Amino acid sequence: MLQKEEALQLNVMNVIKNNRKTTEPKQKKGIAETLFDLFISKRLSMLILALIAAGSILGTIIKQGANESEYLTVYSEATYRIINIFGLDDAYHSLWFKALIVLFAINLTLCTAQGLIRFIKEKRQTDIPEFDRLSKMELNLRVDNERKEKAIGVLKKFYRLIRDENRGLILEKGIPSRLGVFIIHGSIITVLVGSFIGLVFGFKGFLILRVGETKDHVTARGGHQDMITLGFALKCKDFKASYYPEGQPKDYVSTVEVIEGGTIVKEKDIRVNDPLYHKGIRFYQSSYGKKTSFLFHVADEAVALTEQEPFQKKGLALMVVRFAEEIHNLGPGVQIAYLEGDRPQSRWFLLNVEKMKSQVIGGVAVRFDEIREESYTGIEVARDPGVFVVWTGFALMLLGLYVNFFTYYRRVYVVSAADGIIVAGYALKNKEAFKKEFEKLKEDIYGSTP
Amino acid sequence: MAAHHKILGIVTLLYLLLFFMHTIYFAWRKEKVLSLMRGALYIAFGLHTVGIALRWIESYRLNIGHVPLSNFYESLIFYAWCIIGLLILLRKRLAHTNITFCASLIALLLMGFASISPSVQKNIEPLVPALQSNWLHIHVATCFIAYAALAISFIAGMFYLVGQKRIMPTKETLEEINYKSIIIGFPMLTSGILTGAVWANYAWGSYWSWDPKETWSLITWIIYALFLHARTTRGWKGKATAIISVVGFVSVMVTYFVVNFILSGLHSYAT
Repeated sequence: MLQKEEALQLNVMNVIKNNRKTTEPKQKKGIAETLFDLFISKRLSMLILALIAAGSILGTIIKQGANESEYLTVYSEATYRIINIFGLDDAYHSLWFKALIVLFAINLTLCTAQGLIRFIKEKRQTDIPEFDRLSKMELNLRVDNERKEKAIGVLKKFYRLIRDENRGLILEKGIPSRLGVFIIHGSIITVLVGSFIGLVFGFKGFLILRVGETKDHVTARGGHQDMITLGFALKCKDFKASYYPEGQPKDYVSTVEVIEGGTIVKEKDIRVNDPLYHKGIRFYQSSYGKKTSFLFHVADEAVALTEQEPFQKKGLALMVVRFAEEIHNLGPGVQIAYLEGDRPQSRWFLLNVEKMKSQVIGGVAVRFDEIREESYTGIEVARDPGVFVVWTGFALMLLGLYVNFFTYYRRVYVVSAADGIIVAGYALKNKEAFKKEFEKLKEDIYGSTP
Repeated sequence: MAAHHKILGIVTLLYLLLFFMHTIYFAWRKEKVLSLMRGALYIAFGLHTVGIALRWIESYRLNIGHVPLSNFYESLIFYAWCIIGLLILLRKRLAHTNITFCASLIALLLMGFASISPSVQKNIEPLVPALQSNWLHIHVATCFIAYAALAISFIAGMFYLVGQKRIMPTKETLEEINYKSIIIGFPMLTSGILTGAVWANYAWGSYWSWDPKETWSLITWIIYALFLHARTTRGWKGKATAIISVVGFVSVMVTYFVVNFILSGLHSYAT
């Protein structure tokens, strides 16, 4: 009995499977064709996925982004050479890892497209089976002439009619369940496209703002440390870190103003988990700290210098290279390096010694006024135009998983018999749920007592 | 000692009791023990729920109210709760003493580790700024429901590989349990990763930064994706899929424990 039912199901499956078999005559394949076959094979997808996983493991075992000496304390020189050659110190941005992801994207796109084309072209089995076959299916139900109309009404309410003939009907439900797999694969492609858009058209940067400071450019993350102009300016009005009574951090808040063409267009408290969004760019509270700045007068202009930050004005280039709180009992002082012609020079400025407080260097009068402790806020900056594509991918992925795993395809046949009709059905998967559904149908047709 | 600590202590003892009851049942095979076991499981789960609820309430009394899903201790407690919850929710399918034995043993180990290990901070901590987000609940909950389902698939896979014929559920049943739990676990794990990514984008400025925890969750995800594909497209069955589900769970454990203690990263508050 069961065998027959399975045979019938196989019949339906066969129609699907037969379509899948390529019936091309055997020919010698060209290189292009062989390559295409390779790229579209599911074995390759599984191999690539396994390689991506293996590569990812390497990236978590080997410390990322450390410098040479750090690696050499852990690894031998030969091992370090291997790490270097394969870029394992930055595995996720190495060429081979990117190549794997690109390969995966190509493979997945081809496989999905192929599957989808087959799904659309597929001719489905829509022959109405003989009465005998239905009576041998596990889930079948005889309905007499009296209840026939009601039964068909119930079935039509539950299922979609796909064939209606004198001899019988075919009804079905859950066609989208077979789309689940395409939705999931499509969603992964969408996420990859979104992240690619972000890589190409977006940037990530960093911005340090002292309280009161205004900046219109940020330092790009990554090797080059380029400056990126924002197109507007950001002013830090205030920064506050607050703590719980026991001392754990509670809140980090930077109050900032967005300034465009001299006017304030926006004011916001940037918190962790609450970034500022302006013109496609997000600003995230990332770090904070205190910085010592040194107030100088350079040729009657007040400037704030910080350690190791070059300053240029009127042909004078200088930088604070060292700060000491106490120099020979003479109080605090800073060492300034500057260029005289092409020759680097350095000189100490002492805050409490009049003669060493104001000096002339490179023909410009320079006066050391004050040492100030200022808090600064570190803001992560990101522009990612691909993020909404990624979100769309995420939503599709969840939808696809739901459709694929929690909906299922089932078909119900109705065939006329001498004394009424026979109703029989099967599901391709989730057979238990369908069994329950079939019991429910019985109840609906016969009332509460079947 | 706060009430929730006491109650969770009792819960741990109940899981220990459940462990002994199972061994007694394996030796004697008396129906009575079986029904006692069922009772003990329900009581343990009920008290477990009460313990978590009290901890939640207590956090509000301390004026630092938040769902108890914010540190390693709370995650251990919640993980054990999820496993037992799943056992009860799917009791019709999972009513095999071998499965309940292993599941309650895992719960016991988690609870025991949470209460005994000196490296686990047991007090209710206020939320640090990075965790002050509604994404916390959904992210942690989905992840641990996934981990719980995958633990059950691991148990089924292990029994498939090492179990003897006489006492365990049939191999078909084990395979069914294995597959069905992955069908719950995989979408949940996906939801966990995706909610984490969305949250990361609002908190850290990037939805993916190859943080060790992110990376290992991706590795885990890939392993289970391979499981599903091996099964449907290559027709792998039985031993082969059982091995993948065991490997997958090892990866879950790396994601959960090893990453916390050995690999530092953005998820460091989870230790």
